[in-house]
Amino acid sequence: MPALETSPAIHRTTVSDRREPAPGIVIVGLHAPELARSTRPGQFAMVVPPGGERAATALGLYEAEGERVSLLLAVVGPRTRELAALAPGARLDVVGPLGNGFDVPALGDDVALVAGGVGSASLLLPAQALRAAGARTTLYYGARNAAALVDLELFEAAGASVVPATDDGSYGHAGYVSDALRAASRKHTGIAACGPSPMLRAVARVALELATPAQLSLEETFACGVGACWGCVIPLDRGSAQAPSFPPVAAGETRAYVHARICKEGPVFWAHELRW
Amino acid sequence: MNGVAQQSPNLAVSLGALHLDVPTLMGSGCYGSGEEYAPFIDLHGIGGVVLKSVTRLPRLGNPTPRLAPTPSGMLNAIGLQNPGIEAYLANDVAKFAARPCAVVGSVAGFSVDDYAYVTERLAARDEIDAIELNISCPNVGHEGETFACDPRLAERATAAARAATDKTLIVKLSPNVTDITEIARRVEAAGADALAVINTVRGMAIDVERAEPRLGNGSGGLSGPAIRPIAVLAVWEVARSVKIPIVGQGGIETARDALEFFLAGASAVSIGTGNFTDPRAPLNVVDGVRAYLTQRGHAALRDIVGRANPAFAGAR
Repeated sequence: MPALETSPAIHRTTVSDRREPAPGIVIVGLHAPELARSTRPGQFAMVVPPGGERAATALGLYEAEGERVSLLLAVVGPRTRELAALAPGARLDVVGPLGNGFDVPALGDDVALVAGGVGSASLLLPAQALRAAGARTTLYYGARNAAALVDLELFEAAGASVVPATDDGSYGHAGYVSDALRAASRKHTGIAACGPSPMLRAVARVALELATPAQLSLEETFACGVGACWGCVIPLDRGSAQAPSFPPVAAGETRAYVHARICKEGPVFWAHELRW
Repeated sequence: MNGVAQQSPNLAVSLGALHLDVPTLMGSGCYGSGEEYAPFIDLHGIGGVVLKSVTRLPRLGNPTPRLAPTPSGMLNAIGLQNPGIEAYLANDVAKFAARPCAVVGSVAGFSVDDYAYVTERLAARDEIDAIELNISCPNVGHEGETFACDPRLAERATAAARAATDKTLIVKLSPNVTDITEIARRVEAAGADALAVINTVRGMAIDVERAEPRLGNGSGGLSGPAIRPIAVLAVWEVARSVKIPIVGQGGIETARDALEFFLAGASAVSIGTGNFTDPRAPLNVVDGVRAYLTQRGHAALRDIVGRANPAFAGAR
């Protein structure tokens, strides 16, 4: 994705609202005017642990409108449990916006958004941007069960048709969301996906079968989130516009990839440029 | 204000010829070249950045995953990914001139000759104020840490780098040894100006669902608050054994953490993983240390260095 001209900063925010649309899934709204203004679709933030003594948590920026942003998170461990427990009025320091988001214009005018679980967090802003650009959008949204498909109405309000998929078959397509994408009745001009790595790999395979260019927002454990530690790399085509300049490891080497930082060069990459 | 001019305590420290206004370095591999953190804190407020280690030849680094969060810390196995000294000198080093803090180059190697060659090439550049010798990377197979675990090799690598530059030479020691004080003495004798104590502690985490190690490399280096007591003891022991200054490091996030290291005998501290938790950590550490000294009436940081260590051998 083209490098974004953004101005990340540490934002001192206040929790403005909190809701729990499904058990274990929480949306934390933040009063963060500067962050709301500067966030582009597909960017993320590092949330400073409110109690200290833990690592920061990387989360996609879900909503950004007016003076409010929100974070969508699944409670999976102590860090997310701490964030999910924040009540309105609590202070939260947030580093962002970070990373290069989706290249929205490159997705075309009939776009498949593909979300796995809380990967939907990185797809609402692209949906809104696509609608503003006059594009048609379809959200293929997979989760373990019907309850975990959250905020469908927000995506519908952003103009997306929703194709649900559930692991247990309780709602929509029974099985993987990538299979729902493969079975799609329409030919999309582009795919934008976010979710767990196995799901993204499956989406990349389907995109190849359908010959549809796909942008994947990768979920990975970040340490710094700002490109300093090189802990979150992914093998990327040496010829990619996003590949960091890096000399061959040995003379005559044929290795055709470099290690790009997901947090810095990404987190969004073209599926066909990944060597994973 | 009570009208009495309160002199702010002197936090300056010298590591050989390297002068720092504040006693905080940013740990190698944790801070990029400094520019990654420039949007978040004023780099005037840190003592210096220790750059990511560079080797003679380019290195692709380890396979992924390279990170695994663990209780009160994290494992990493990056594997010294870097463009190699030639490309580094050609493409990267000129940018460091703009840093408003000290810039310490970090040199890693796989032979005594590597250490000498890369030190000489890197230290020759004006943008580089000092050299840290990384003889203790735990993540590049046995060869990486060999130099830190064998007193004779540690001495030889240090002597080779010493001969290659007059700039301040800091040697980073590994905790993964039987007696860190012996290594420290040998490195001091070979001409090091200062010691960085400690590098990460070797460790492993296993994914029980997949029945395999969490890191692509298998083992990794543990950092963060989990290793702080190990690091404090290592500093305490080394400070009884050598006269050269020590840069204490391992899990520092707050001023109180840093004070433990100063009281154990460190003249400066280095913050690595703590920056990941909160980029303001280095500034908070300096503010808190200054407040502690002021409250206790100390005119200078050096007044408390080694205070908790009766056999402290260094010069205050």
